Amino acid sequence: MCSIAAPEVFGSDELGHATVLIVGDLPAELHAKARRAQANCPEDAIIIEE
Amino acid sequence: MTTLEENAGPVNDPTTDFNIFDPEFVRDPYPTMSEIRESACPIAHSDRWGGSWLPTRYQDVVAIAQEHEIFTSRDIVVVPRSGLGVEGPYAGVAAPPISSDPPDHHWHRRLVLPVFAPQAVAKYEQTTRDFCNQLIDKFIANGTADAGTDYAQQIPVRVIATLLGVPLEMADEFTSWVRGVLEVGLTDPKVRFESRLKILNFFQTQLEDRKKNPREDDLITDLLNSGDKYPVTDQYVLGVCNLMLVAGIDTTWSAIGSSLWHLAGHPEHRAQLRANPDLWPTAVEELLRAYSPVTMARIVDRDTEFQGCPMKAGDRILMAYPAANRDPRQFEQPDEVILDREHNRHVAFGSGIHRCAGSNLARLELRVALQVWLERIPEFSLVDPAGVTWAGGQVHGPRVCRVRF
Repeated sequence: MCSIAAPEVFGSDELGHATVLIVGDLPAELHAKARRAQANCPEDAIIIEE
Repeated sequence: MTTLEENAGPVNDPTTDFNIFDPEFVRDPYPTMSEIRESACPIAHSDRWGGSWLPTRYQDVVAIAQEHEIFTSRDIVVVPRSGLGVEGPYAGVAAPPISSDPPDHHWHRRLVLPVFAPQAVAKYEQTTRDFCNQLIDKFIANGTADAGTDYAQQIPVRVIATLLGVPLEMADEFTSWVRGVLEVGLTDPKVRFESRLKILNFFQTQLEDRKKNPREDDLITDLLNSGDKYPVTDQYVLGVCNLMLVAGIDTTWSAIGSSLWHLAGHPEHRAQLRANPDLWPTAVEELLRAYSPVTMARIVDRDTEFQGCPMKAGDRILMAYPAANRDPRQFEQPDEVILDREHNRHVAFGSGIHRCAGSNLARLELRVALQVWLERIPEFSLVDPAGVTWAGGQVHGPRVCRVRF
């Protein structure tokens, strides 16, 4: 789900498990998408550190 | 307690006597689910159909899904199996990984996940689009069609047959077998038994064929050849094929059908999707939330108390994902379809270790089926809203759904 909501931030490995594509701080223009991914993660697995 | 007649009769209080095959509940389960959810007893219990619990709040459904050691998947069908007949060589064939518990669950799931990763299912997009266009070609000149039987029902069976490498010409037979197991068979043990036998006999023959004539880039061949990494048996491969057919067809078909049924009555949503194609991913999730097709079961491993309910070892719990997805504690205006809904942590695909392995393929099929329909048939409406028929129990969705355009 996260890779649909924020494809610049999340990808998936060969098992379809989510991976984070960006190392370090997220650019400001991706904040909204990252938040949307968080709000839609069915496993509540995304933590955004501010 | 396995037939409609034995379980019929009026339901006075759904919190103590719900009937998942009551015709009104099958047609529109949401008012009853809401009544239970907002009652003093949001985890209902009924003695019908062999007895089962029905949690209706989002938080409870998710909590049970996460506690897979107590709430096991040793049976996932919403009604008990009848004692009908002996299946001989197939007696132990289940539907891994959905019917597996840890520790085997791990490798049962590990082997099928790569098939359904987003990058792996992307290769079915054009195939799916072609299937959808071919189906519409057959009826577009008529100005009317059955969005259920002529379209929704026809799409997933073809995609799954392609994925499994089995003959597309058998689509109607596959559909009939799957309905026999998941729909008609749930209230008719003889049909369920015979349909299961047909599925397993068919795949047993496919397994024998692949052993003699291994194929390149073929799911069944690849599964049979995975024995170097995991203790793969014929029974496991047969079980996976069984699952992909049974779980991959009726479910997605129902989601496509419900979505078309919704769009037929909501021209403003059709217009919204036309005006804003970027909305598709969010819209698909919202339609999955509002019309979640699937209810799975869990079996209680040992006596336990959950939210004040005394659950006994062997009790059946119906994971009412459709009820959870309309819980106002989790979703604002839960009965409204809001195509650009911001917060949507829906559980249409379940939650925890048994979360649907095929969700990426299901999403792709649902999106493409709706996109192609709206491209070619932008305006349409129901011929007779009261004439739409529904299936329910394990998988909820329209069956006959005539539209005009």
